[in-house]
Amino acid sequence: MAFQPATIDPSNPLGPYIGAYIARSTAKNVKAGGGGAVTAILLYLLDKKKIDGVVAAKKTRGIKGEIVLAKTREEILMAAGNRWSIVPYTMRLKETLMSTDIRRVAFVGLPCQAQFLRQMKMFPLMEGDFADKIFVIISLFCMGTFAVESFTDYLARNYNVPLEEVENIDIEGDYLVIFYSGKKLRLPIESIIYHVQHGCILCPDYTGVFADISAGRASREGYTLILTRNRLADSIVNNAAYDGYLEISEATEEEIRYAREKALDKLNRSLKYIMRIL
Amino acid sequence: MSGKTSILIYDLGGCEGCPLSIMRSYPRLARIYDVHAKCIGNADIERQYNYAIITGPICLNSQRHIEELKKIRKNSKILIAYGSCASVGGIILYARGGQEPRPDHRVYAPISKIVRVDFSIPGCPPAPQMLISLLGCIRSGRGYFLDLFKAVSAYSKLSGFDLMDEVVLTGICVGCGACVLSCPTNALHMVDGRPDLIVEKCIRCGTCTVRCPRFTQILIQRYKLRERAKMLASLVGGE
Ligand code: SF4
Ligand code: SF4
Ligand code: SF4
Repeated sequence: MAFQPATIDPSNPLGPYIGAYIARSTAKNVKAGGGGAVTAILLYLLDKKKIDGVVAAKKTRGIKGEIVLAKTREEILMAAGNRWSIVPYTMRLKETLMSTDIRRVAFVGLPCQAQFLRQMKMFPLMEGDFADKIFVIISLFCMGTFAVESFTDYLARNYNVPLEEVENIDIEGDYLVIFYSGKKLRLPIESIIYHVQHGCILCPDYTGVFADISAGRASREGYTLILTRNRLADSIVNNAAYDGYLEISEATEEEIRYAREKALDKLNRSLKYIMRIL
Repeated sequence: MSGKTSILIYDLGGCEGCPLSIMRSYPRLARIYDVHAKCIGNADIERQYNYAIITGPICLNSQRHIEELKKIRKNSKILIAYGSCASVGGIILYARGGQEPRPDHRVYAPISKIVRVDFSIPGCPPAPQMLISLLGCIRSGRGYFLDLFKAVSAYSKLSGFDLMDEVVLTGICVGCGACVLSCPTNALHMVDGRPDLIVEKCIRCGTCTVRCPRFTQILIQRYKLRERAKMLASLVGGE
């Protein structure tokens, strides 16, 4: 596997990868979060018994969520796609993973969480680390997550959108689109930047350079860009496609440039701000 | 003599947790390396080693230990402070005199106070697989987090208190929960999506700080600045 130093190289903001694909799920019911490719990969891993479960963030109320271990197809479909707030790993998760009937799990998280898991896997600092249970780390592309209270207060105060009714959030061009009670609210991204977590503005990693598989929005509508960072990851994606879960094609230069630009934006933002707090 | 890379494992004191943890990896370690350790009976600090792995803190009142440590530094290419006591002080920072055998306040310190350290590994104690993984990464000159463990060597304390001061209270914590999952004593818990420190439980092992995505970033960047400053100073000072 190519070497990824702990700091991201501006000449390679996507980090090392061996495969880049444009993908979407073949199943009609799995289309959450731009293509549903990650969910399709997870279903493939579960069906083929490569994993016993998936650790992912499940949406509970609005953009709030909780970390769950999803062990069935239904649970995986339910847990798909929360990338607007961080749901912290908890001691409960650790206890669940320590149980002996769980042998291997896939993790789906944000780049910062992928970093932590990779570090735990490579450098176990504690007996209690559950590194050997981690089969594959999947990271979702991330531009930053919301400071939940700040953001939901803002929505409630200014637009009368109650937290409970936020169903989904998506990005369309320079706008953030909030789906709630069957309605749509379009807000310019600039206007909500203050509600992004401070720590996220320092974060240099867009794709999750420490993950095995990174996935996120492709420029082509309805598709996911997938980066595979090692042979295991690449074979998972290709086998999921071979077995009919996933529809893939090689990512075009343009698709890669699209992701690269975003990654570079985030890295520049990070470098600019970190100097202020050192 | 075998052609294997030689390593010295040397304990300076502490609770013996680190030597015990390392001992559990001896069988695998010995297959790859030429291992020298007190408990094997072949720890000779007069000869040269590729790697020296030091566990335990240094007692500043013990001339013998300080001389030994300096000698080991001179005789080894790469020196690793292994475990919380050797690297960031750990629980030994609480030894403030009064208890038998009456150590004076601050009489124990991480070894980086005495010698230059190449890599500092917190962990109380680090899991047995850690050492093999680490040496493998150093040997191949790559591995995600070597920069980080190098950066830690510039510190002589890192703990939950620093995590609170530098990350949580400054508002750059993102609430990922990595620190909570990394604390061996459950000294950290989430309150409203942010970690909070139960001070009585923190043993100052430093594990949380090197697992936090924000803190690691700060450690590495500061280390880089420090190195640059050192370089400038040496240009100006001419040495
Ligand atoms: S921007 Fe970085 S720190 Fe914030 S949630 Fe995304 S990956 Fe984590
Ligand atoms: S909070 Fe926990 S992990 Fe952090 S230094 Fe204290 S005991 Fe160690
Ligand atoms: S690891 Fe760091 S960023 Fe994550 S919750 Fe703990 S203090 Fe916050």
